[in-house]
Amino acid sequence: MTGMDEVLLSLRRFVPEAVLTIALLLVVLVDASGARFRNGLNRLLTVTALAAALVLAARLHGVSAEIFSGMLVLDPMAVFFKMLLAGASLLVVLAFSFRNSRELHGLGQGEFYALMLAVTVSNMLLATANDLAMLYLSLEMVSITSYVMVAYLKGDRLSNEASLKYILFGAVSTGGMLYGLTLLYGMTGSTSIPAIRDFLAAGLSDQNRFAVYVAALLVFAGFGFKTAAVPFHFWCPDVYQGAPTAVTAFLSVAPKAAGFAIMTRFFYQGLATPGAGSWDLSGTVDWPALLIVISVLTMTLGNVAALTQTNMKRLLAYSSIAHAGYIMMGVVALSENGARAVMIYLLTYLVMNLGAFLVVTLVHNQDGTFDLRDYPGLYRRAPFLTVAMAIFLFSLMGIPPLVGFMGKLYVFAAIIEKGKELWWYAAVGAVNAAIAAYYYARVLKTMIIDAGNEDKPAFKLPAPDLAWVLILVLANVLPLLWWGRIEGWTRASLSLYAGR
Amino acid sequence: MVFYVLAAITVGSAAVVVLARSLIYSAFSLLFTFFGVAGLYVLLGADFLAATQLLVYVGGILVLLLFGVMLTHKIYDLDLRSEVTQFVPGLIVSAGLFLIIVLTALRTEWRVGPGRPPEPTTAEIGKLFMGPYLLPFEAASILLLVALMGAAMIVRRRRDA
Amino acid sequence: MIGLHHYLVLSAALFSLGVLGVLTRRNAVNVLMGIELILNSANVNLVAFSRYGTGNLQGQMFAVFVIVVAAAEVAVALAIVLTLYRLRRTPNLDDADMLRG
Repeated sequence: MTGMDEVLLSLRRFVPEAVLTIALLLVVLVDASGARFRNGLNRLLTVTALAAALVLAARLHGVSAEIFSGMLVLDPMAVFFKMLLAGASLLVVLAFSFRNSRELHGLGQGEFYALMLAVTVSNMLLATANDLAMLYLSLEMVSITSYVMVAYLKGDRLSNEASLKYILFGAVSTGGMLYGLTLLYGMTGSTSIPAIRDFLAAGLSDQNRFAVYVAALLVFAGFGFKTAAVPFHFWCPDVYQGAPTAVTAFLSVAPKAAGFAIMTRFFYQGLATPGAGSWDLSGTVDWPALLIVISVLTMTLGNVAALTQTNMKRLLAYSSIAHAGYIMMGVVALSENGARAVMIYLLTYLVMNLGAFLVVTLVHNQDGTFDLRDYPGLYRRAPFLTVAMAIFLFSLMGIPPLVGFMGKLYVFAAIIEKGKELWWYAAVGAVNAAIAAYYYARVLKTMIIDAGNEDKPAFKLPAPDLAWVLILVLANVLPLLWWGRIEGWTRASLSLYAGR
Repeated sequence: MVFYVLAAITVGSAAVVVLARSLIYSAFSLLFTFFGVAGLYVLLGADFLAATQLLVYVGGILVLLLFGVMLTHKIYDLDLRSEVTQFVPGLIVSAGLFLIIVLTALRTEWRVGPGRPPEPTTAEIGKLFMGPYLLPFEAASILLLVALMGAAMIVRRRRDA
Repeated sequence: MIGLHHYLVLSAALFSLGVLGVLTRRNAVNVLMGIELILNSANVNLVAFSRYGTGNLQGQMFAVFVIVVAAAEVAVALAIVLTLYRLRRTPNLDDADMLRG
């Protein structure tokens, strides 16, 4: 078909992103107009566009193709991630409002909505990239938009320092990744990921194996940075602490999800050959071994460092790092169950983490503090919030019947079924979950049992905020009732487009 | 022969960028590095890319960096010094990386082929932008929009919401 | 006879120098210069592989996008550095120590 026909066909399959882009341009225009109603209009535009993107992405289920001349790939897994990413943005925009926020008070709203739309488009592009140039471009789009979002509190020194560390660290990591990508191009003569896979699968000499290993290590610098895995996690606690909490909450779920999506896709599709139900590594290098080491370090460091944190945002940052370690177990498994575990974990992680951050934000709105040492007495002053936080924390711990348990279950199952050699790895994961339980429980203990703040009044929380907390609580509790359907959905979303 | 001259300019000035005491020396050496790279592109037959390198890197990025250097020096101290911390560990890591990469570069069988004879590339690059590379082209424009908006927003002084 | 390997060694040198700059420099603008060296070294790789490989232009196209990304990154980075300077009167990274690394 002619070039134009192909573009038009691709556009029809690109509708979610197209809608978001149009909304982005509209928001920028509306904001520039200076009209008095522009904030409300922008919020409406953003929410509508994100909801529309979610629905439109769902309608794309069943398509399996490369679009835009092989730059992007569309398959059930891509659809799943597009829905997840649109949903994450939508939840953050709806639940974390400017209205009562102590942090965001007085700052321009139009830019925030524009940035949210832009980052959602970028995340979707990243999750479906099929070409090295597209991969790099979309990764940098997500990163640069994130740098700007973190720098939102421009008058605040902490925030500014955080954004500087973020951009410098990020630029170096992605620079390293870029160098690795160039090596892959040099070896295979193509920037298209399926072509690279075909070339590598045809057979690698030993000298070339070394080069692929070096390239994979370098490329992992970029993925590790996006998902905050060791040793590319250094930016995480500072950035989470310095950014506005809404941005922190968003960063902890959405770019991380997109990062894992592309990591899974790159390693499963680029450096392994699809077989029947699992992937075959014989053409390339043994990258699961590398990822096992990284994920063990990540889990352990995250959990151990969280033990001594008193700042809630830093604590949740280290917790986030640890969870990335668990999610990597799914990638290591190199099987359909592994990919499914990654998807389920990210889905459950979305609702648990957003819930925890929302509670932290509401406490900050009321009391102006993120410090755990100011949390005693919350049970008396805000019983509903404390119970909600308990549910989110238990979910993060992985306690049934909450949704967080399912994530861990699938990830551990995917590893255990790979065979006895990996049981030690699952055991490390279990031990880590136990360590994590300690610091999550410590938060609860402080809120419920510790004495303090008897003189402070009870919380007065606006109804919309309470409503969102309730919605997230239900999202953590109810899914188990419909687990069959959720599981069926992820199973149907599993096929990765195999390329030509 | 030309290659060696260009290589010397490029790597030499890059070394100055990284090692010089004064920030101004670093910035101006970076100019030579960019020019050197542009020259290498010409040698490799990438004429469009060489022009883009000069326009964007020298004309845009370097100017921006110079602004950055100029606007952030201490007002009472015109000596734009930049200090160096923990030089030896950095040198070890950097040298190690260099060795690993050179080893990889020399031992691997790269995908070499008939290659590309030196001929003007601009027309073909234009066609590629309108064809296979249409999506990244448009995505890049979104990136630039966001970066511009973001940079302006960050630097702008407080305004009423 | 100048071949692919010459360019690869050159780009390795640029990459390592860039990393050296990033690791050892205190001034944020200097670190940015190191990052630019890294990006340029990758671009040299791309163009060299394009020239000596199967003759497709994919490397050069990729390089164009790298240049675009570099420009966007520098713009945002300098905006942040400028704000840092305005708030604390110093562009040095060591003085940006309010956050426990």
